[in-house]
Amino acid sequence: MSKLRFIAILLSLGLAVQFGVCANGASTAAAAQAAPAQQSWQKEFDDVCSKTQDAMTFSQQELTALIQRCDALAGRTQKLDDTQKKVYQGRLRMCRGLYAYVLESKKNEKK
Amino acid sequence: MNKKMFFVLALILTVSVSSLSQTGSKKKRPLPYEFGQVVINNYSDKADMDPVVFQHWIHRSMFTCRVCHVDVGLGMKAGATGIKAIDNERGYYCGACHNGKMVVNGKTVFRACSSKASFEDQKRCDRCHSLNKKVASDFDFFKFSAPLPKERFGNGIDWEKSEELGFISPSKYLDPASTMNKSLALQKDFSLSPKVEGMPDIIFSHKKHTIWNGCELCHPDIFMGVKKGNAKYTMVDISEGKSCGACHVSVAFPLTDCQRCHSKPVQP
Repeated sequence: MSKLRFIAILLSLGLAVQFGVCANGASTAAAAQAAPAQQSWQKEFDDVCSKTQDAMTFSQQELTALIQRCDALAGRTQKLDDTQKKVYQGRLRMCRGLYAYVLESKKNEKK
Repeated sequence: MNKKMFFVLALILTVSVSSLSQTGSKKKRPLPYEFGQVVINNYSDKADMDPVVFQHWIHRSMFTCRVCHVDVGLGMKAGATGIKAIDNERGYYCGACHNGKMVVNGKTVFRACSSKASFEDQKRCDRCHSLNKKVASDFDFFKFSAPLPKERFGNGIDWEKSEELGFISPSKYLDPASTMNKSLALQKDFSLSPKVEGMPDIIFSHKKHTIWNGCELCHPDIFMGVKKGNAKYTMVDISEGKSCGACHVSVAFPLTDCQRCHSKPVQP
C-alpha cells in the first residue's frame, strides 16, 4: 500500500515537473515571439513618426499613406501594457494629427 | 470736525472697497524661480504623498520642449498626462531620465519612483513630491541664472540668447524615447497685423519655434487653422492659455514682454 502510494506520489511529481517545464517553455517561447512583435511595432512607429519634421515636403499621396500607416499602428497599440498604451497612443495621435493637418492645408492651397 | 473726518474716512473706505470688488484680488506675479513651476497632483494625495512640484527652468536648460512634450509624451497642461508611479518605474515620463542610470554633467540622475520604497527612500521621493516643503536640490536657481543673459520677465533669463551664446545647449534627442528626426525644412517667418492701430506687427519666427518644439507640438492641437489669415487671435484668448498662451503665459517669456512679439517697427 505504502509502495503504491510512493509510486503515485512519484508519478504525480514527475508529471508536475514535466508540465512545469512545458509551461515555462511555452511562456519563454511566447516571450520570444512577443519581443520581435514589439520590436517590429516599435520600428514601424519610429519610422512613421520620425518624418514629422518633413511633413511639409510630402505630397498629398505620401501624407495619405503616412496617415494610413498611423491608423494601422493604432490598432496594434491596443495590445501594449497600460503605460506604453498611454505614451504611444498619445504620440501617435500627435503624429497622425500633424500629417492630417498638413494634408488639409495642402488641399486648401490648391483650392 | 470729528464728523467731517468720519465722513472722509467712510468715503475713502467705500471707494476702496468698491474698486476692489470690481477688480478682484490681483494675481501674484511669480518670482523668477517660480515661473514655469507646475504642480502635479493626479494621484499623490490618494497615495498619501505630497503633490509633485516640477521646475521648468532646470529641465528646459537641458532639453528642448519637444523632447519632453513630444518624444516622452508629457502633456502641455498640468495633470493632463495622468502620470502614475508605475509609469515612471517602467521608464516612461519622468522615469525616461529619472532612472538612476542616466548621467548628466557627471551626475547620476536620481530615480523617480519605485513600488518598493523603503523609509530611507523618503528623501528621494521628497525631491519631487515637495509641495510646501523645503527640499535640497542639486541646482540653485540664482547660481544657475547668474551668468545667463537677462530678461525683464518670466525667469528673468533670456533663454534664446542663452542658447545662442552657448551658455545652455538643450538636447534635441533622448534615447530611447526620441525617434531620429532629420533636420527640419524651415518654414518662413511671417508677420501678423495687430488689431490695435499703432501697435507694432507681430513677427512670428518659425525657426525659433520649430527648433525647440518641432511641428506636432503646435499643429494641430494648439494652432488648428489650416488657411493662413483665417484664425483670429485675441489677447484675451491668449492670456487664457489659448494659441500662443499655451506656452507664453506660464513657461516661455510672458505676455507682459510685449515687444518680444510685437517687434516690427510701425511704418510712418
